[in-house]
Amino acid sequence: MPEPDGTAATAGPAPAAAIRVVLADDSVLFREGLARVLAENGFMVAGQAGDADGLHAAVEREMPDVVVTDIRMPPTNTSEGLVAAQRIRAEHPGTGVLVLSQYVETRQAVKLLQNAPHRVGYLLKDRVSDIAEFTDAVRRIARGASVIDPEVVAQLLRRRGDDSALAGLTSRERDILALMAQGRSNRAIGERLFLSPKTVETHVGAIFTKLGLLPAADDHRRVLAVITYLRSA
Amino acid sequence: MTRRRWGLLALGVAVAGWIIGGEWVSIRQHVPENHLIDALGGLSFLVAGLVALDRRPHNRIGWLMIAYAVVSYFGNWGNLQAPVVPMIGLIGQQLGGPILAQMVLSYPTGRLRTRFERFTIGTIWAFAIGVGVVIALAFDPRADGCTRCAWEPAAFPDKNAVLTALLAGQRAGFFVYLLFLAAVWVRWRRATPAERRDLAPLWVAVVIYVLVGLMGAFASPDTTGQPFAYLVWELQSVLQIGLPIVFVWGLLSARLARSAVGDLVLELDRPLLPGELRARLARTLGDPSLEVLYAREGLDGWVDGGGQPGTLPETASGPRARAVTVVERDGQPLAALIHDPALDQGLVRAAAAAAGMAIENERLQAEVRAQLEEVRASRQRIVEAGDAERRRVERNLHDGAQQRMATLALALAMLRDRASGDAAMAASLDQAAAELKQAIAELRELARGIHPAILTEEGLPAAVEALADRSFLPVQVRANFDERLPGPIEATAYFVVSESLANVAKYARASRARVALSRCDRMLRVEVTDDGIGGADSSRGSGLRGLEDRVAAVRGSFRVETPPGGGTRVLAEIPCDA
Repeated sequence: MPEPDGTAATAGPAPAAAIRVVLADDSVLFREGLARVLAENGFMVAGQAGDADGLHAAVEREMPDVVVTDIRMPPTNTSEGLVAAQRIRAEHPGTGVLVLSQYVETRQAVKLLQNAPHRVGYLLKDRVSDIAEFTDAVRRIARGASVIDPEVVAQLLRRRGDDSALAGLTSRERDILALMAQGRSNRAIGERLFLSPKTVETHVGAIFTKLGLLPAADDHRRVLAVITYLRSA
Repeated sequence: MTRRRWGLLALGVAVAGWIIGGEWVSIRQHVPENHLIDALGGLSFLVAGLVALDRRPHNRIGWLMIAYAVVSYFGNWGNLQAPVVPMIGLIGQQLGGPILAQMVLSYPTGRLRTRFERFTIGTIWAFAIGVGVVIALAFDPRADGCTRCAWEPAAFPDKNAVLTALLAGQRAGFFVYLLFLAAVWVRWRRATPAERRDLAPLWVAVVIYVLVGLMGAFASPDTTGQPFAYLVWELQSVLQIGLPIVFVWGLLSARLARSAVGDLVLELDRPLLPGELRARLARTLGDPSLEVLYAREGLDGWVDGGGQPGTLPETASGPRARAVTVVERDGQPLAALIHDPALDQGLVRAAAAAAGMAIENERLQAEVRAQLEEVRASRQRIVEAGDAERRRVERNLHDGAQQRMATLALALAMLRDRASGDAAMAASLDQAAAELKQAIAELRELARGIHPAILTEEGLPAAVEALADRSFLPVQVRANFDERLPGPIEATAYFVVSESLANVAKYARASRARVALSRCDRMLRVEVTDDGIGGADSSRGSGLRGLEDRVAAVRGSFRVETPPGGGTRVLAEIPCDA
């Protein structure tokens, strides 16, 4: 798969390799703030919208690499962002979508992933205040990864509780499972836990064996597998 | 005079003309019989039938009497020397027996009740029609002396054959009579003592009539032949005059109705189940469609026995017309009986008077139920208003404070990025950001507790699933439906689950919990069980009490089973269309 950030034609003040982003949120203040954060961190904000219709128009016009959208927007203020995400992923396979929400619900995360297993993200809205984490999430989605809010993963792990298969994991393996579910690559997991990529790979293999899962082809595709596993009672 | 009465009068005149005309034909043809007695038999049935139709319009007995009067004179008209007429006369004459039999067996309602009765009447009709077919095939009017009958319809024109067939039919009729007697006997056996007492004269008349009828196989109208046969013939005719009088007397007998009202008094002399009074009145008056509405105390308007508002029907005519009899006490309306206009007003009043005390009791109960229902409805409105307010507050928080705080967090983060050179400033900003983050999380939980957005957006199963997702102990959720339910029901069921799970987490010391949502027969069943210590106390805190109130507000039932050491089971059942 060609890396979009490598091939996208860009214009304006952003660097040539800048990731092109379209923002959608009905709060102008928040949208403007987000646009500034992204611009200051080397992204190119190609368009902004206040509702789902505006978002689709901007996507058609700009063909961005990533869309960052609020889940609740006019006219119904329910889950327009989620519906828009599914439509954008279906109509523009090259465009990733990051959905932000004031609340995270496992069900919505799973729905999003099931419709488009990669190049999607689902994060709590206030995660944007951790600028490094947020911009990293947008970059990972642009590269084809999926990003799931740690809160969703924590909920899933908590619900599985004393499940026998999960109980067989070491606490290190559980940490790695959680990071995999959030959409982290082996390399990122290694950096975070101060482990060598080789060690991470060994742990991942052990986790998949213990849970009886088939090894995923690549880091990007295993999010759905892990989330689905955690969700199945 | 009503249209109906004019109609009955016209019918009476026509049938009387038919009877007298038939008798006149017999006189003209010199038929050997007592013409006065013969005509009186038919006229007696006619008058009795008309009176019955007038007083009991929905009773078929009146029609059967008139039909009997009509077919009885086919034979007389058959004496007319005209083509085809003699044959029609002979055939028509055969139908009198079945009609009479049906009249007797279906007395006094005009309806046959058992399969055996229907079989008996069916057999009698089949027999009569069979005889008619024999006549149609074999009767030769010219051989019978009809000199002007040019048309020759008989397939087997043989006067002897016809006579033989008819004689055979008459003899076979003996067995049909026996069958009929058996049916009458069975009815007698099954009748209640009161019925026996009231119907006894009728049955005595019937039994005598049938016995005479059995002898009728040997009866003859010929005065000159055998005196015994002629005597039987006359006896039959006299009984025929008397029979309809007994019928109509019984039908109109105040005794029947009075005994029913008397039974009602006895039946009502004990506590009644809800709706029982209506059923008893309906049975006494013989009107299954009877409705009873009760007047509200000090209010305009009516309620049924369950306290549900009802309206009196408009006065209208036609088949759907209903009559209203208002029962009063000291000039104040107490109740209204809505009934078939055909019912005898006197009987309705008598029944209402007999049921007076029961009606008054039932009215008080209906009043209480109506008031309870009003309180319940107002409680539901209060709860719904509360829910709407909760949704509004949640939406305001989401679009206002939460959005502003997210924007603020973003602004702080950008400031922090620029302040990386100033350690003291950076530390302050970090602390502010951490505080803000905590505030956002707390506000989120608060907003979710006020009203979860996912309940409005995706419905009950999804919202309960989300509750389970955030629960600190493993919660298994099972739902056998995914569709949306009315808002108040979803909210009630949601708060039952959320409050119950909160209780499990707080008090139950459980290791797991289970939530089951199921819909069947328009009931939503919500069940929350845990494996904790049980012994939940509904007086502790307002949680369980509040749930009970909420569920009751949507007509639901709420139950907590919590044996010490045996876990806790919370069960709410809510009608989905509340």
